Amino acid sequence: MPPKRKAPAAPKGPAKAGRASALSTPGPATPRSIENSEGVSGDEEVEVTARELEMEAEADEFVASWDLSNERFQNHSQNRHFDSASTHFGNKGQRDYSFLRLRPDHNNRPLWIDSRKGIIILEKFNPAAAMAQDLLIAIAEPKSRPAHCHEYQLTPHSLYAAVSVGLEPQDIIGALDRFLKTPLPGSIREFILQCTKNYGKVKLVLKENKYYVESADEQVLQNLLKDPVIGPLRVHTGSNAITTSYAPTMGGLVIPGTNNAVGVQQASGLQPGENKAVEGAKTNEADVYASLNAEDDDEEKATIHAFEIPDSAVETVQHRCLKLDLPILEEYDFRNDYVNANLDIDLRPNTQIRPYQEKSLSKMFGNGRAKSGIIVLPCGAGKTLVGITAACTIKKGVIVLCTSSMSVMQWRNEFLKWSNVAEEDVAVFTSDSKHKFKGNTGIIVTTYSMLNTTTKRAHDTQKMIDFLSGREWGLMLLDEVHVVPADVFRKVISTIKSHSKLGLTATLLREDDKISHLNFLIGPKLYEANWMELSQQGHIAKVQCAEVWCPMPSEFYDEYITGRANLRRTLSAMNPRKFQACQYLINYHEARGDKVIVFSDELYALKTYSQKLQKYCIYGDTGQSERMAILSNFQHNPTVNTLFLSKIGDTSLDLPEATVLIQISSHFGSRRQEAQRLGRILRAKRRNDEGFNAFFYSLVSKDTQEMFYSSKRQAFLVDQGYAFKVITQLANMENTPDLAFADPSERRELLTKILSDYIAAGGEMEQDKENDDLFGKERRTKKKKGVRRTAGTLGELSGGQDMAYVEQNKRAGQGGRKAKPEQSAFFKKLAREKERKKLQMREALQ
Amino acid sequence: MPRAIRGILVECEPSIKSIIINIDRQNHDYIIEDLDETHLVIKENMLVKLKIKIEDMLKDSYQVVPLKDDVTDEEDLI
Repeated sequence: MPPKRKAPAAPKGPAKAGRASALSTPGPATPRSIENSEGVSGDEEVEVTARELEMEAEADEFVASWDLSNERFQNHSQNRHFDSASTHFGNKGQRDYSFLRLRPDHNNRPLWIDSRKGIIILEKFNPAAAMAQDLLIAIAEPKSRPAHCHEYQLTPHSLYAAVSVGLEPQDIIGALDRFLKTPLPGSIREFILQCTKNYGKVKLVLKENKYYVESADEQVLQNLLKDPVIGPLRVHTGSNAITTSYAPTMGGLVIPGTNNAVGVQQASGLQPGENKAVEGAKTNEADVYASLNAEDDDEEKATIHAFEIPDSAVETVQHRCLKLDLPILEEYDFRNDYVNANLDIDLRPNTQIRPYQEKSLSKMFGNGRAKSGIIVLPCGAGKTLVGITAACTIKKGVIVLCTSSMSVMQWRNEFLKWSNVAEEDVAVFTSDSKHKFKGNTGIIVTTYSMLNTTTKRAHDTQKMIDFLSGREWGLMLLDEVHVVPADVFRKVISTIKSHSKLGLTATLLREDDKISHLNFLIGPKLYEANWMELSQQGHIAKVQCAEVWCPMPSEFYDEYITGRANLRRTLSAMNPRKFQACQYLINYHEARGDKVIVFSDELYALKTYSQKLQKYCIYGDTGQSERMAILSNFQHNPTVNTLFLSKIGDTSLDLPEATVLIQISSHFGSRRQEAQRLGRILRAKRRNDEGFNAFFYSLVSKDTQEMFYSSKRQAFLVDQGYAFKVITQLANMENTPDLAFADPSERRELLTKILSDYIAAGGEMEQDKENDDLFGKERRTKKKKGVRRTAGTLGELSGGQDMAYVEQNKRAGQGGRKAKPEQSAFFKKLAREKERKKLQMREALQ
Repeated sequence: MPRAIRGILVECEPSIKSIIINIDRQNHDYIIEDLDETHLVIKENMLVKLKIKIEDMLKDSYQVVPLKDDVTDEEDLI
């Protein structure tokens, strides 16, 4: 029997939706028909996982083949000459670009270019910088944006995005040439042409619930139809001719919330009759044109050609097109979708969206259709509002996916706050509440994990999933899109059929560089905001970043050198000097009236710090109601100014009161975590006060690994233009009243306590349960129980030997003597005080 | 009869001192006298060796992050 057959060929049944979704392997961003997933046998599943791997490898290969340093782009730069000075530029003179002659008027042009890597450097101080920046944002990816010089890079994805918003390759080349100080190098020109030649040529459009492959170039479609894979898949509708229609234009589409929208509302409010008449005339005109055009293919108007393919073939076609170097772009013509019911949703009239939000959305709806893609905005810059506005523009059923049940509630509230959608139309689907909307369309807010669990679901959950996968959605909003690994996406996207997808994130980066896969699964990056610009305009808070170096006492460092990695981390987090610095900073900022959040990944340190300093702390084990109580206390109670958080607070926690952030320990060199944590204070309420600054402190133990990691972590923020100040000594720290661990004996006590706790924990310091990455490795490593082999006599195995009754359930044996659950420090303190008062009263009475 | 050893006074931060002590622990062939938190006297002839060892120890906390640029350049050379 071939090993393939050994796949768990469990009997299929209607209740196994997990299985049904596991087998469907969508191509990049494919809503896939459900019919296909019926009638599946066990070994097909194996095949599918194999195919999934294959597809991933293919995507990698594809990405690599478009690397600029690839041979095909670099072969004609041989004419460069090297002289004796060239070698000083590094890499055997490869970095000598003097062969690119400066233009006589180069002073007026703001751009430099690296012809080998496609890196473009923008002089921000140049008068033409603003114009050049607009261009670069459209065609290149921002790499680093400090105050005076910006660095961008041309990548296939950025060019792909440029094409998808309607830029022509010749326009890109022309504009670049205009801004460059040197003539445009041939390799770059070639690269742009090669990348854009194929990108965006073919579009996949869902029109009236049929999939069409569309292109402006008829020849491309003819080629596709001749392809042995795609050709037979075409749906033949009477004639064999390719359908021709007109390219869509921005037309009457107005993104709500913009000034334009206000204008339109006023216009239509004043003269409704006239408006209608105009519209009627317009449509008539269009009809006339249509009939004219059908007869003599008029080239004046942009025409597009299309052929239809069946739902089931979408994935195959997409996959095949990728192979043919013709990646398919997905668009949704929502204004002409009459099959899916319209949702009655609009932004509230007083809602004004900010200029950068408008810019990002205009990229999404650039040609009157909805494109799928990712929008990158810093935390606190109103990602939610962008999502809601997109929903209000499309006005169809919306499904929102977020990372935790806490943010589910936040999304729902935001929808009700910013738009006029009826309350019963916004439904929530979490493990606690499973609602459906009443009407025939609406909004569902849920989490990735709800849709992703592979284990058998509860009955009502299953019913809900069936409900979700059984309908078509106009828009899928993917919150915090960077945390979710590709296979989860494939699964979610295959379960839920949606016409367009919008990913929202603040930090489009992963340490494992799987971001490029997102580009294939969701779409190109449509827009990325400039953090510094937003903070100058007052949309997000200005932040002072500082790295505080805390020397380690020698007795701690002795242990640090000899200890294992686990202990080393704990020791560097528990460094008493760090503790003092933390205490000092908290005192200092509380006195100024700031609200402070302290982050620690090390749970042991978190607990010790918060107990010693008598502050609240929240971590994975804290109950939901206690969390809420602490959070609302932090927000409203003037005596509670400091809050300790483990990594559960990294994302999606909305605390506009917080203005100071102190980081004690962190997750190795994760740039994303650093940026996400910074995001907690970017939305500070008081940001528009005169001279207001938020503070971000990162406490680092000197001479430890933390130093290395912290320089790595800051890379992203430094690229965004933040400057980190290094503080080697906090002034007057010694004079803090009751400074902890001030004398050596206390320090030694702390050290022995840590060491004994460490040994007691068996060398594994407690880690927080909830992972920052929603779908961390831990969950997947759960293994099935294997078969166990033991030797024994037949009598023994059948229970004939010394079997005795054993009470397995300890609790039952103890008869209700339950161990008291551990109280938080605050309640302990309360109890102590109560006790003391009682004693005093008694003494007073005696 | 008193014996004279040529030594070198080392002044360093406490953490570096504990690294030196840790290196010395194996054979006791570096340190002559441990003076206080920040001072040590070490054997003169062992200075170079000690320097190399300390650099070795500090490598993992002060790793220089290679610029991405340089990494790709290396690859280009091959």
